[in-house]
Amino acid sequence: MDYSNLRRQAASMKKGLFDQGHLDEQFRQVEDLQDEASPNFVEEVAVLFFKDSGRLISNLEQALEKYPRDFNRWDAYMQQLKGSCSSIGASRMKSECMSFKDNCGKGNVEGCMGCLQKLKREHAILRQKLESYFQLLRQAGPTGAATRPVM
Amino acid sequence: MRTEERNGVAGAGRDQFPVGMRVLAVDDDPVCLKVLETLLRRCQYHVTTTNQAVIALRMLRENREMFDLVISDVHMPDMDGFKLLELVGLEMDLPVIMLSVNGETKTVMKGITHGACDYLLKPVRIEELRNIWQHVVRRKFSTRECVTLDTYEECNKPLSADSDYAYGQVTCGSPDQSGRPSKKRKEYHSEEEDEDEDSNGQDNDDPSAPKRPRVVWSVELHRKFVAAVNHLGIDKAVPKRILELMNVEKLTRENVASHLQKYRLYLRRLSAVASQQAGIVAALGGRDPFLRMDAFEGLQGYQAFTSPAALSSFSAHGLSSPRNNQAAVVIQGRSIHTGSVSSTTNNSIGDANKYHLSLQGNQHGKLAQGLATSLGQAQLQQKWMNEDNGDLSAILCGNSLVKGMPSTLRSVTSSTLLPQDQVECTQAKVAIQPSIRAPPASLELLEGAVGASSDPLESRVSQQGALPLCGFSGSRLPVHGPFNNNGATRLGDAFSASFRPTNDLTVARGSKVGASSFGGTIHLSPDTEQKYWSFGSGNSFRQKADESSADSLLDPKLVWSSSQLTSNVDAHHSMSQRSNNCSINIGHGARMFGQISANASPVVPQAKIDFLFSGDTSMARNASESSIPRLQTELSSSTCSFDGLLNSMIKVEKDDNAFGDDLGCDFYSLGACI
Repeated sequence: MDYSNLRRQAASMKKGLFDQGHLDEQFRQVEDLQDEASPNFVEEVAVLFFKDSGRLISNLEQALEKYPRDFNRWDAYMQQLKGSCSSIGASRMKSECMSFKDNCGKGNVEGCMGCLQKLKREHAILRQKLESYFQLLRQAGPTGAATRPVM
Repeated sequence: MRTEERNGVAGAGRDQFPVGMRVLAVDDDPVCLKVLETLLRRCQYHVTTTNQAVIALRMLRENREMFDLVISDVHMPDMDGFKLLELVGLEMDLPVIMLSVNGETKTVMKGITHGACDYLLKPVRIEELRNIWQHVVRRKFSTRECVTLDTYEECNKPLSADSDYAYGQVTCGSPDQSGRPSKKRKEYHSEEEDEDEDSNGQDNDDPSAPKRPRVVWSVELHRKFVAAVNHLGIDKAVPKRILELMNVEKLTRENVASHLQKYRLYLRRLSAVASQQAGIVAALGGRDPFLRMDAFEGLQGYQAFTSPAALSSFSAHGLSSPRNNQAAVVIQGRSIHTGSVSSTTNNSIGDANKYHLSLQGNQHGKLAQGLATSLGQAQLQQKWMNEDNGDLSAILCGNSLVKGMPSTLRSVTSSTLLPQDQVECTQAKVAIQPSIRAPPASLELLEGAVGASSDPLESRVSQQGALPLCGFSGSRLPVHGPFNNNGATRLGDAFSASFRPTNDLTVARGSKVGASSFGGTIHLSPDTEQKYWSFGSGNSFRQKADESSADSLLDPKLVWSSSQLTSNVDAHHSMSQRSNNCSINIGHGARMFGQISANASPVVPQAKIDFLFSGDTSMARNASESSIPRLQTELSSSTCSFDGLLNSMIKVEKDDNAFGDDLGCDFYSLGACI
């Protein structure tokens, strides 16, 4: 297995995510927190994020239906999601969150709906990309693999 | 395993503070919580997490010694973060840092007024977390020291006029060992002594003073007191229960009882004023950013109490009648501000009217009330002045005791203006919650002051807090304009020149936005040193007065009224016109306002100005037409500590003849107060 090649691929994939604006600096901070004591920290956080944000998005969708024009409520829900996004560095999603909040502020229902749809799309895209990324990382082996002789 | 390592570290780390500092992190968002926990561990703190506020409270109640610091999210489903913040501050007296993705000014202000020692934005960076331990240290210093007997001796300097209210420096024993305390003490002394001479109504416990150790009602202490009272409910607050809740060693029931008495007087005054102000406030509309009741609430709670003495003394002295209105106005302004802060709307004023509004944690509610009323009644300026003067001055003189403002308001009305209160005001740490000690000069100042930590009194001021203040003072305040730039710079100068404590303010102010911030939002951090800002604003006025130019007016006002923007403008005019403006500076506009408004300020802005002093920029607004004049006066009166300002004002020119004469006296008295 060419670990180095896999790792290179993973690195390039990650770079792509940054370049395309899916991730921002915060993601690097999260990565920095990964160490020997928590070797899978980033992936754990990502898994947690997608699960939680999925839940929040569906809550938001329900709220949009159940409480029409209740901008305060929508805004409150979105606030939560925005917090999550910013903690992991999900940059595009965070932008959509902010647009959504703006629309709430303006009382623009269509705008909110539109933002939510975009948000869902970004969520799905990021999830898929990160999953591939982590899979690649796993294949590339733990960092300790770097010291192993190339096989 | 990391946890074990951490525990081990924690165990050993107790000696290597901040390593091993025990943090309790509360956030309903699992992602944030996980990242936060890891970040904290990386800083080598010992971390406990929970995603529910109720669990956090339970843990804290079970054993308050288990933690050193709490970090909590603002928006949580089971309990509002601010509520948790209040409870923790009140019951456990632990520093609490708020966390949120929302960095809006009003929310941050709310955090401050509710007692947060810092407010971080998500995503939190590790660099920010590395410094949070300072909040623990700061709190230890500020609360423990002042209540000890030794501190009493230290803090109870020659001030005589105070019975058992030694509103001495908050930081009596504070870590501010850099020499500032002594400087502050001097300020205190001089102010107090002056006050004594001037204030007749002050409590003099000369005969017993030397014998019995006096309690220095530091900002921290007062904050706890107010929190306890709010928790119990003003009607049910009995000294014994308050004492229990406060849990401060070496504090006796008698101390609390006497403090409570003063506080009640203060509240009564505020409510009287508030009702009047309500009208004004309503008139002004809540839009004014200054009308942040929230800010006031917090502020009021503290300040009102702490510096009432100070204020009263001031008002007693010079400001008396004409100023009262101003003070009232000022107060209102503040309340309005504070009110708004919490309610984040102009409606806060209404809230302000409800004294106990702040029970939520806004002690300043009371103040707000007073303030609110004051605003409403620009007309009542006269009345306010009397009342407010005390308060205002307290506020103003609080040197940075933002908190002082509320008290000043009270003090104005109450004759018992203990010099100590005043001193306290001035000395009080301006420490605006985010550890910014911003001289009261005005909410804005607070903001700015915080950053600038104009905390002349305290060296401890954490600049971090200050930063935001300074920074935003300019940006935040909707100052209408004239202030912004003019005011700021001038104020800074003015302040620095006038007094020492305010120097910081000026720094804060002058540095930045001073102008801008002043007018705008007076961020009163109720907890802390709000007094400061009231102070700051006062000063600014002076400067203006001297200049007797509209601008100048604005400047000082800016500080205060920046928030008030509109009123400021007016205030300026009036101020400049009159030498009275000076009075505003001093006291808090009480005097000034009256005069200022008279002259030029047809505009309401003046009303704002008044507030500036007390941080009640909101008031200024309300006063707008009528209030302005009043506000000013009030402001002047409230600035007790601006001795320097006073003098400067007096010198300046007494353009405004009408007031000039009056003010002249007032000024001096104010000066004396200072």
